[in-house]
Amino acid sequence: MPEHLTASLLIALIGGIVDLDSTATWQFMISQPIVAAPLTGLFLGGIYGEAAAGLKLGLMVGVILQLLWIEQLPLGMNVPPDAALASVLSVALGFISGHSNESYSEREVCYTVALLLSVALGLLGRSLDMFVRRLNTSLDTWVCQKVEDNSLWAIALGHTLGGVFTFTKAFVFCFLVVWLGVEPLKYFTQSLSFKHGSGFIVVQGLLPAIGFSVLASMVLKSREEIRYFVGGIIAFTLLPAKLWLGLGAALVVMYRNRPAGVKK
Amino acid sequence: MRALPRLLLARIAFRSFFLQSSWNYRGMMSMGFLYSIRPGIDQLHSPGPAREAAYMRHLEYFNTNPYFASVVMGVTLALEERLSHGEIGEEVIHDTKEGLMTACAAIGDGLFWDSWRPFVAVVALIFAFGNYLLTPLIFLVLYNLPHLYFRFAGIFWGYREGTHVIKTLRQFQFPQIRQNLRLGTMVLLAYLIPNHVNVHTPFLLTNLPLEYFYFGEKVVQGLGALLLVTLGTVAYRARVDVLLISFLLMVCALVLYHWGILI
Repeated sequence: MPEHLTASLLIALIGGIVDLDSTATWQFMISQPIVAAPLTGLFLGGIYGEAAAGLKLGLMVGVILQLLWIEQLPLGMNVPPDAALASVLSVALGFISGHSNESYSEREVCYTVALLLSVALGLLGRSLDMFVRRLNTSLDTWVCQKVEDNSLWAIALGHTLGGVFTFTKAFVFCFLVVWLGVEPLKYFTQSLSFKHGSGFIVVQGLLPAIGFSVLASMVLKSREEIRYFVGGIIAFTLLPAKLWLGLGAALVVMYRNRPAGVKK
Repeated sequence: MRALPRLLLARIAFRSFFLQSSWNYRGMMSMGFLYSIRPGIDQLHSPGPAREAAYMRHLEYFNTNPYFASVVMGVTLALEERLSHGEIGEEVIHDTKEGLMTACAAIGDGLFWDSWRPFVAVVALIFAFGNYLLTPLIFLVLYNLPHLYFRFAGIFWGYREGTHVIKTLRQFQFPQIRQNLRLGTMVLLAYLIPNHVNVHTPFLLTNLPLEYFYFGEKVVQGLGALLLVTLGTVAYRARVDVLLISFLLMVCALVLYHWGILI
């Protein structure tokens, strides 16, 4: 139990820090799943003496969530699903509930179920983000009034409080989810029969396809590009990947420098 | 002789890391903008009505790309300096800031969110699929090189060149950079799709001679991945929510697994 408490507090701290990075401060992109998830896995694995296993789980989760939410951006009023918290919680729930299992497949089932659960938690995180932004709006009105009254100290205080709200939101949310969520998750995954459980490993292998679809939707702009793209996939399927990676790059250069008559 | 020393400008660029701490639905980044440029304002305006007016001026609506915000800050401070000398009126600052924040939002969002981040993510994914444990570090270093460059250089450009800063930004030819990044992402994606979507079926084991098994497995995996990605792309472009697509994929995969079609 004390180990679980330590882990919950650690996850809450990591959650708070990466959530600050996602919009409020820095924006170094520590909050991107491909960074946040391995980071969580590394620190969490350290507590249980399995840092490498934690890091590998983090990479797996990071890859899938990075792809899934690659197009979600915090632009203007748009509040995207909280990918940072989803990454942290997915690794935390999956690792803590799965690390004590002996068999590979049981651990993988825990990881995959936690991953799917964290997607829903990312949506809940978005609602909490919107709540914090509403709090900040009240804060903004208060600061404006104070500045009008010549109380200039309110600027730094109000601005800092906004960051404090963000951190506290993520800290409390992560702590509660990990503290209360691990046991039900363990119970659920143990209740799955081996056959159904192994099906989740197949799901895990297919999930990157969704992210690739989202990314393909982003980068493909014309029919011509789609033809090149499908040709590239078939080429990469049939022949050694590294060779074709180089050739693909060469094709892009050729496409970029095609004669003016071919350009539309 | 300019009023603001380089060290102070660097300090303002550093404070811009906290630009969005108090992001809200009224002024958006307004409080963060004022918080960031406050040392400059304090240097340019002596205590009294002029300084208070400057504070109030910058508590109005502000929203732009966070990495390019320092450009707007530099220009704003250059204009505040001219205002303090009585060369321009308040409305010039208001209008310039509004125009510039829109331009910087368009440039920054297009470059960083739409092009650079997906490209760096795909590069990192290639390392991650290879279980390379330093992947997060590669992502962070690669992503933040241009981020830090624009954040710190931007404030100096803005302050030095004022409203002419747009000319400096134009020199970068951002549309061309974005186009190249998009094509680069496309090539890497074409490599990732057939190699990292795991589609395995037991039929090959039973129906193919062993010497063709490896080739058959590659073809099934590649074409299966292509089919899945095509379906996913069609659904996504038809505005089906990505979570619903994931859920449908999960259900289909579990059913196919149950029937013994996928392993």
